[in-house]
Parts: sequence; structure tokens; C-alpha cells
Amino acid sequence: MSTPHRRAAVGAAALSLALALGACGGGLKEGSSSNDSGEDAKGDIKLGMLTPLSGSSAAIGPYMKNGAQLAVDEINAAGGVDGRKLALTVEDEACDPKTAAAGAAKLVTAGINVSVGGYCSSATLPTLSIFGKADIPMLIPAANSADLLKSKLKNVFLVNGTGIQQSQAASDFIKSKGSKAVALLDDNTSYSKDITTRTADNLKNAGVAVANKQSVTAGESDYSGAVTAVMRAKADFVYWTGYYQEGGLLIKQLRSAGYKGDIMVADGAVDKKLVEIAGQANAQGTYATMTQTPATIPGGDAWIAKYKKAFGSDPGPYSPQAYDAVRIAAEAVKEAKGSTKGEDLITALEGIDGFQIFSGKLKFTPEHTLSEGGFDILVVKGDDFALNS
Amino acid sequence: MDYVLQLILNGLFVGTFYALVALGYSMVYGIIKLLNFAHGDIYMLGGFVGFTLLTVGSGALAGGGGIIALVVVMALAMVATGLVGLVLERVAYRPLRSAPRLSVLITAVGASFALEYGVAVGYGPNPRAYPVTVGGGAVHLLGARITYAQLVMMAIAVILMFGLDTLVRRTRSGRAMRAISQDPRACLLMGVNVDQVISRTFFIGSALAGAAGVMAGAYYGKIDFLMGFIIGLKAFTAAVIGGIGNIRGAVLGAIVLGLLESFGTAWLGSQWRDVFAFAFLILFLTVRPTGLLGERVTERV
Repeated sequence: MSTPHRRAAVGAAALSLALALGACGGGLKEGSSSNDSGEDAKGDIKLGMLTPLSGSSAAIGPYMKNGAQLAVDEINAAGGVDGRKLALTVEDEACDPKTAAAGAAKLVTAGINVSVGGYCSSATLPTLSIFGKADIPMLIPAANSADLLKSKLKNVFLVNGTGIQQSQAASDFIKSKGSKAVALLDDNTSYSKDITTRTADNLKNAGVAVANKQSVTAGESDYSGAVTAVMRAKADFVYWTGYYQEGGLLIKQLRSAGYKGDIMVADGAVDKKLVEIAGQANAQGTYATMTQTPATIPGGDAWIAKYKKAFGSDPGPYSPQAYDAVRIAAEAVKEAKGSTKGEDLITALEGIDGFQIFSGKLKFTPEHTLSEGGFDILVVKGDDFALNS
Repeated sequence: MDYVLQLILNGLFVGTFYALVALGYSMVYGIIKLLNFAHGDIYMLGGFVGFTLLTVGSGALAGGGGIIALVVVMALAMVATGLVGLVLERVAYRPLRSAPRLSVLITAVGASFALEYGVAVGYGPNPRAYPVTVGGGAVHLLGARITYAQLVMMAIAVILMFGLDTLVRRTRSGRAMRAISQDPRACLLMGVNVDQVISRTFFIGSALAGAAGVMAGAYYGKIDFLMGFIIGLKAFTAAVIGGIGNIRGAVLGAIVLGLLESFGTAWLGSQWRDVFAFAFLILFLTVRPTGLLGERVTERV
């Protein structure tokens, strides 16, 4: 926070707005500040989640919400945490910093104890200090830009693998494929650009040539400009680090422009819809770097069946991480001997060692990221992604 | 050389989509001086109407050729979006015709959001993959590559534009449109049914945008409820570059914008595409507000 960074300024603006909103809400509730909730040791343990329910990423919201709700229902059915029930409140993040800041302020006013949300890194960024000021620990299930860790806030924990781990997995794989000219494409958001930049650095260190690195605008349909540049650079490996909608279009347009090389996408693009948009024939053999999912871990099938039974639909991206975030929050309250004070929870979270979550045994690093954040390489087979063997 | 040709082809192809949407913008502006910001969403609606028809009728269409089915669906979608355009004008714009320009502009923005999120409620926020996509091979032209699908799309667009041009220049109702754009009050006094002509303009403009929506769905293979937003702004830019209110200008502006974007991104990188496009909007508005083919604005006393 010491450098007068432009993003920090934006965050501060959003924060002041949120504080103003928070102050209004607080006034209505006769000054019941969120800090009081820690002493209220009898009521429900309140979890808050920011997730996109509208806007371009609105498809993800229900996946995360249902994942979290499944964990809440399971824990409550098993008697809750020390006899206290969990309660989940969901607010819209819309993948938009302003909406996210307002939503965070609402959750703070509602007196949540732990935040278990955060999808778009750019929208999650301004909420860090809002929750931080209110002494609320954050277990962020999806957003994983390294920017989130820059200000080293002690209430911020990332439950998803970060760009650092993902770009390592990506560059290792690209190197193992023996590529001569790599094209790196991102959508100009902090999440996506972070991965291409790190991957480019890794590849350079490994002696693999990056022939083309560019950012495209999300939300458009025509990427012929980017495709022509890739073709001109004679790339034999394309790595896309944005989301699945543009990813599907890019794959389709690359293939119809006659691109014959390998294509790989990052975790934001891992969705059946990518295959549907690109067309099955075009998408076959597309690789992906992805945090371990229920489909790729032992015993995952049972979890998928449970999810399907509860919500009547398949789990999607970040359902497992949202599920885990809730379970970690409950574990932290248990470890903190029932306290829901921010400090106690943070100490408890830092102390957790060996708690089983989808990505492996949980132990947070000093930077509050996963120590075991295994990224798998997936590959498109038929109409979906499967583990690459 | 083949690289430059490829850039030109890319630009022309994107330009035809912009043109179909820009035409509606320009026609409506020409006739009632309204910037119909909901126009991009009519394009989106066209995509969804086509999606619904293709999904429902996929069994019946299974035997028929892809292109013919697509043209039939496109015609139906054009009628549907044309009717939506009619209703939009009747409900949101006609009651405000004598209101200040700003009120109508705000209604237009409101109508845009209503359409976007109305579709999001109906179809859900997830993007939909189009049930029929035009695939097929590609031809090589002096080293540049163009797919058959692109050629078909461009041919359909050119036919539609040619039809519109004939309609406006050679028919009675086209003459009425041109007359109203000159002086609506005099037309009223001369016995022209102004309301009817304005409705017809909305119908035609919306139908063209709807056709572009179906084409986009079929070619790119993906539609979502926000797909009309950026193209609406781009079409507006194209209309301004060509001279807003001028029909041939809209097509010219769209082609110019497509080419500018294509060469701009090749020169500066993809992330500069929108910066480039909208910088040209500002440039034209400040340096040549009447656009390339715009008529001189005469002050009426």
C-alpha cells in the first residue's frame, strides 16, 4: 500500500464509497457494528459470499453459491460447529469493482464472520480492505491473481491455486511438448495477464521462444486480428488465459484460419461450454491447466452425485473450491474454540495443517496461499475436459 | 502482400456486420433524429430468435441444407425483430416525440437494458452455442484465406443492403422516408402518414439488425445477452464516420471502421482495437462531424 499505485487509488475510491454505504446501513441498524458479532457466540455463524450473479460472468455465480450451500447444509445436518449453525448470505459481485465494493459493504453491515466469496480478481481487489477493516477473514475460492497478495493483508487467504503455480504448470507442460514458438493470449484482466506474463518469463528462462504475446478485448465476437497475428508469428503452441467464452471463439477461429498446432487454456476457460462454442471437432485435444476438480480426484464422483441430488444440475467451475472455503471456515471456528473474532480465526487458519480439501492437504503458506496447489493438465475428449494421461 | 490482403479481408468481413447494424442506427437518426441505443440489443434479440427457431425446428430442418435452413430462419427472425422494433418505437419513443431530445435518449438507454436483462431472465445468463453453424472449407486468394462461411455471410449482407438501397431510392415509401427526414412537419401537411413511415423505418432497421444477429450466431457459434452492447457502439461509430443519417454513408463508415480496426490491431496489438475504434469516433466528431458522406447541416429557422 506504500506505493502510490493506480490500482490502490481505485481501491481507495471504491472503499470510501463502500464505507459511506456501510455507514448508512449501520445507522439504520442502530450502530450494530460488525465487530460486535464476534462476541455474539450463540447465534448462527454467518458466512458471506460475493459472486457474479449478473454481468458477463453471471454463469459462475450459481456454481459457487451451490458449492458453498452444499457444505453449509452438510455441516448443519451434522450438528453445525459446536452446536451453532452456519448461515450463508450471497451478494452480487458482477465481476465489477464498484458492485463488489457495494456488496462487500452490505455483507459487513449484515455482520458476517467469514467471507467465502470472490470470483473475478479485479472485482475482489477493492473488497480486501473493506473486509480487512471490519476484521473479517476472507477465504477466496476462485480469484487468484497475485495482485490480491501484493498488499500482504493478513485477513486474505486464497483457496484456489495462484497464477504463480498455474504459470509454472503451464510453462513446464509447454516445454515438455517441445514447442518452438509459443503464442500467449490474455484478455487484459489482472488474472489473465498475470499468468501470461509469468508464463512468458518462465519460458524465456527455460529457453523457449515466445513468438507472440497479446491481449484481446473480452466480450467481442471477432478475434480475426489476434488470429492473424498468431498465424503470422508461425506459432506452434497457443496458450489462452482468459475465460471460456472468448476461449471457445478463439479456438474456433484459429482452427478455421488453418492453425494446426496445440492449444491450451487456463482454468478460467475450463468449462463444457468452451467445447460447445468452439465446436467439438475444433476443440478436440485442447489442453488446459486446471486446479484439481472432483472429476480428477479419487472419490470425486460421489461428491458430484451429492451435488446433483441437492441442486438438480452438475457442479461447475469453482463449486468444489467454494465448498472447501466453507469447510475451511467451519474448521477455523472449531480450531478457534468457537470464537468468531477475526484475529482468532486468522490465527486458527494459519495453524490448520493437514485438513483434507480437494486440492490435497491444507496448509497455508506464509503468504496465505495453498502449499499444495496441484494443477493438473486436462485435455478435451469428446464434449468435456478429462485428465491428460 | 498476402498478409495485407488478409488484413483487408478481416476488415471487410467485420465491416459487413457493423454495416447491417449501422444502417438501422442511421435510418432512425435520419428520420427522427433519435440515437436508438437499444439498436444493438435488437441485434442480440435477432441472435436469440434465430437460436430458438433453430432449436425448435432442428428436427424438421435436419434433412434440409444448412444454408437454406439458415436463410429461412433469418427471414423469420427478421420479421420478429422488426415487430419488436415497431413495439419499441410505439411504447418507448412515440409518446416522447415532442419531449426534449435528452428524455428520448434516456428512454433508449432504458430500453437497451430492459431488452438485455429481459433476455437474461428468459434464456439465462449463460452463453448459448448455436445449434447450426456454417462450417466448410476455405478458399485461398493470393495467399490470404477466406472461408466459405465468410463468403456466404458477406453475400447475404450485400443482398440485404442492395435491397434496402433500392427500397429507399426507388419506391414510394422510400420517398416518404426521405421526405420526412427533410421536414416531418411539411410531410404531415402534405398528407404523408408520418407515424406509419416512422414505424416502417423502425421495422426495416430492426429487421436488418436481427439478420445480422442470426448471422453472427451462425458464424461465430456463440450468443449471449450482452453481445449487442459493443457492436451497438461500434455501429454508432460507423454511422458517425460515414455521416449519420446517410444510408450509403453507414455502409461506407462500417467498412472503413472494419478496415481501421483490422490494420490498427495489426499495427499496435489486439488490446488497442477498441481504443483505436473509439479514438476515431472522437476524431470524426471533432474534425468532421458530418462524416464522410454526411449532408451539410442547414439551420432551419
